[in-house]
Amino acid sequence: MGKQVLYIEMDNCIGCRSCLAACTQCGGHDNRNRNYVLDVDPFISRQTIPLMCFHCVNPACARSCPAQAIQIADNGAVLSALVEKCIGCQNCTIACPYGIPKFDEEQNLMYKCDLCYDRTKEGIPPMCASVCPTNTLQWIEEAELEEKRAQIPLANRKWTASHDPDVLEGETNVKISLPGILQGKQKLF
Amino acid sequence: MPKDKFFKVVENKIHPNEKLVSTHCCYCGMQCGMNLRVDTTTNKIIGVEPRYDFPVNLGKMCPKGVTAYQQVNHPDRIQRPLIRSDASLKGTAEGFREASWEEALDLIVSKFKELQHNYGKDTLSVYSGVSMTNEKCYLTGKFARVALQTRYIDYNGRFCMSSAAAGLNRSLGIDRGSTVPWTDIHQTDCLFLAGSNAAECHPTSMFRIWEVQNRGGYLIVADPRETPLARRADIHLDLRPGTDLALANGIVHLLIKNGHIDEDFIRNHTNGFEETKEVVATFTPEYVSEITGVSVEKIVRAADIFGRAPDAIVMFCRGVEQQSKGTDNVSAYTNMSLVTGKIGRPKSGVATLTGQGNGQGGREHGQKADQLPGYRKLDNPEHVREIACAWGIPAEEMPQKGVSAYEMFQLMKDKTIRSLYLLCSNPVVSAPNLNHVRESLKSLDFMVCCDFYLSESAEYADVVLPVTSWAEDDGTTTNLEGRIIRHRQAQEWFAESKPDWWIQIEIAKRMGRGQFFTHLKSPQDIFNEIRQVSKGGIADYYGVTYEKIDQNNGVFWPCREEGDEGQPHLFLDKKFYHPDGKAKICALPYRPPAEEPDEEYPLRLTTGRVVFHYLSGNQTRRIPFLKDMYPDPLLEVHPKTATRYGIEHDELVTLKTRRGEAQYRVKVIEAIREDTVFVPYHWGKAQSINLLTNPALDPYSKMPEFKACAAKIIKHKHGGVRHG
Repeated sequence: MGKQVLYIEMDNCIGCRSCLAACTQCGGHDNRNRNYVLDVDPFISRQTIPLMCFHCVNPACARSCPAQAIQIADNGAVLSALVEKCIGCQNCTIACPYGIPKFDEEQNLMYKCDLCYDRTKEGIPPMCASVCPTNTLQWIEEAELEEKRAQIPLANRKWTASHDPDVLEGETNVKISLPGILQGKQKLF
Repeated sequence: MPKDKFFKVVENKIHPNEKLVSTHCCYCGMQCGMNLRVDTTTNKIIGVEPRYDFPVNLGKMCPKGVTAYQQVNHPDRIQRPLIRSDASLKGTAEGFREASWEEALDLIVSKFKELQHNYGKDTLSVYSGVSMTNEKCYLTGKFARVALQTRYIDYNGRFCMSSAAAGLNRSLGIDRGSTVPWTDIHQTDCLFLAGSNAAECHPTSMFRIWEVQNRGGYLIVADPRETPLARRADIHLDLRPGTDLALANGIVHLLIKNGHIDEDFIRNHTNGFEETKEVVATFTPEYVSEITGVSVEKIVRAADIFGRAPDAIVMFCRGVEQQSKGTDNVSAYTNMSLVTGKIGRPKSGVATLTGQGNGQGGREHGQKADQLPGYRKLDNPEHVREIACAWGIPAEEMPQKGVSAYEMFQLMKDKTIRSLYLLCSNPVVSAPNLNHVRESLKSLDFMVCCDFYLSESAEYADVVLPVTSWAEDDGTTTNLEGRIIRHRQAQEWFAESKPDWWIQIEIAKRMGRGQFFTHLKSPQDIFNEIRQVSKGGIADYYGVTYEKIDQNNGVFWPCREEGDEGQPHLFLDKKFYHPDGKAKICALPYRPPAEEPDEEYPLRLTTGRVVFHYLSGNQTRRIPFLKDMYPDPLLEVHPKTATRYGIEHDELVTLKTRRGEAQYRVKVIEAIREDTVFVPYHWGKAQSINLLTNPALDPYSKMPEFKACAAKIIKHKHGGVRHG
């Protein structure tokens, strides 16, 4: 099996927050969820999008950490702060351009999405992508990702992975496509 | 069945000192496969893992499913039987004391016997539900008719699937919710969903629904609101609540006019086309637009796409069914498939999205007022003889037909019914016109409620019996496809709770009717009895065994013989279940909702679900995650309507109809019609929207009109906006 990545197809999201509920079930997450679902424009429509850690190749959170508490795993997962190293300065929560790291005041400890490292290191999909009922969150092989790229019309720059600085800051291990994937879709009849 | 394109082999994560029990969710008709995590040192359920290999949902779960396990060892579980002697406290949670099973059962039986001695057998009633296994649903019907010997039994499926059942029976001669397996959905070319918000009510269907569009197929959605499903539809038919029949007739009109009908199919396999053609002739797009409020252009485009689609599936849900013409709506939408011949083959057909976990199986085996196991009918003497013989009672002892769920409340009020045995349902939240329902329950001489939490309805009982939750018992359910599946016990019975089947057998013994029940010692014994008594019926389970279910990931009924593998697709031989083998195209004149807006009540009120809650909310309102996500009901209002009433987002207002009123905070959103307001129905007490809904019943299904009535908003004098 080739390398697998988390791919987010935002157009599919129905706002069910199953990914948040499932995050608590990972086993290594202390029953706390580490991701977000946002209402895009709640007075207008029911469009929602998930916001998870994009697992940057060169993560601002880790760069900003004075204690080197944020490690990067072999599969690119940017892990939660190490309990023994984190000094609770919260630099990471400010440095992250997407507002991902959460802070536990009681434990004086940062925690964040670790791509369910306990699972993904064994080739098991993360909990959020396992349960997502809409395939907004998918755990796919890189070959499948290439197929997606080919299928979804990208001329409008709606597709992004990590090469579109207007949308994401720098290269990320998690790949995303923004809402609008059906624009220009060739119909069957 | 071949694996579909979404199937992937995934190993499950198993943590140290844990095991996984493979079972299904307790909530909706999807009956998603899931694994429960059990701590092997305490033998308690502690979490959930995806069940990647169950073919319907492939590990996917909605937020209710993910958190479902949290019900099992919840602090609100009732531990022991509860008895209350002060009847003045009915309608509150006060005054109960804990009692032993012996005391509770003896009290129930002495009251039942006394009431039957004084007022006749039919003074007792049973009101049941379908969020429980086939074994329990079947036994409840037998319990009412053989142990209690009363005619009055009905169930909450009257508020759920009864219109689909009546409509499908009339059109196709059989009531199996879907003519195709769910794995066909993503392969069709056009999906037409009417009155379904699958994104919130059946979320694990969504990856298949979106795939139709990803392949270049079409999604057409008829709904008064732009739901998360309608948001992405190719065509959103934003109709007024309660006008579906006009829309369906209008589309059939255009299918005929455009030459998109299948004349050979109509001639060989249907009746009723000519009469229908005559009725729909007047349903021009302009006329339909006038009734429904949908633009002519959208109606024309929808009919054109449906007509040209090589394959198409028509799906409907409570939005069309919970109307005083719900049965007609179902048959009218089914007409679309019949006139085009897009039924009786893979990737084409009709389906209703079943609301309750066992909404399908629970309506097949005799909980309905007029029905016996195997989908047999009480008004058919041959059917009565068959079941009486199987049960070992004389045919003349079989009680007569009773009345539907909502009609039972009136009989309680006028003392025809003096006692109620309520299980697996919470009617003081889920029934319409709740002021009437609550008064009716208060007027009872004696009421028993079986539940695992003290529901709002349990608060009206004299005796509350603690029952096991879904994860503590074995049994089968039949999902929305008609696939019979296995639920497995993952934990011992909680505290002193007992399964409903155990309780009913104990009461039967004490009523002197034990000889008809005591041979049943386990759910599997009961299932084997269902197999025997359903044999030869329409819903024939004879060929289904627990072993076959395990081997095949479920078995689709009808399954008539031991070698029979069941029928995922219906009508592949183009034989429908009416005696002449033909389907019926139904000629259905339009009629408006029972209550239309007027000067005093100018708005249309419609109700429904949110993704975080299930039915009356008795289960989901207790789960912290779900409660946090959607703590209180909100009144959805279009911004223009809000401006007209001078109300703001988050303002507290009163919503009123001719039957009642309640206060809600306003949610302003453009994704709803200007003439329509929406409130979800999952809350009890003063927050119940069913205080306001209209109990006008469908003449065939006895379904109340939850989905359309006239309402008005009353602004509070000092406003009610929260600041800060």
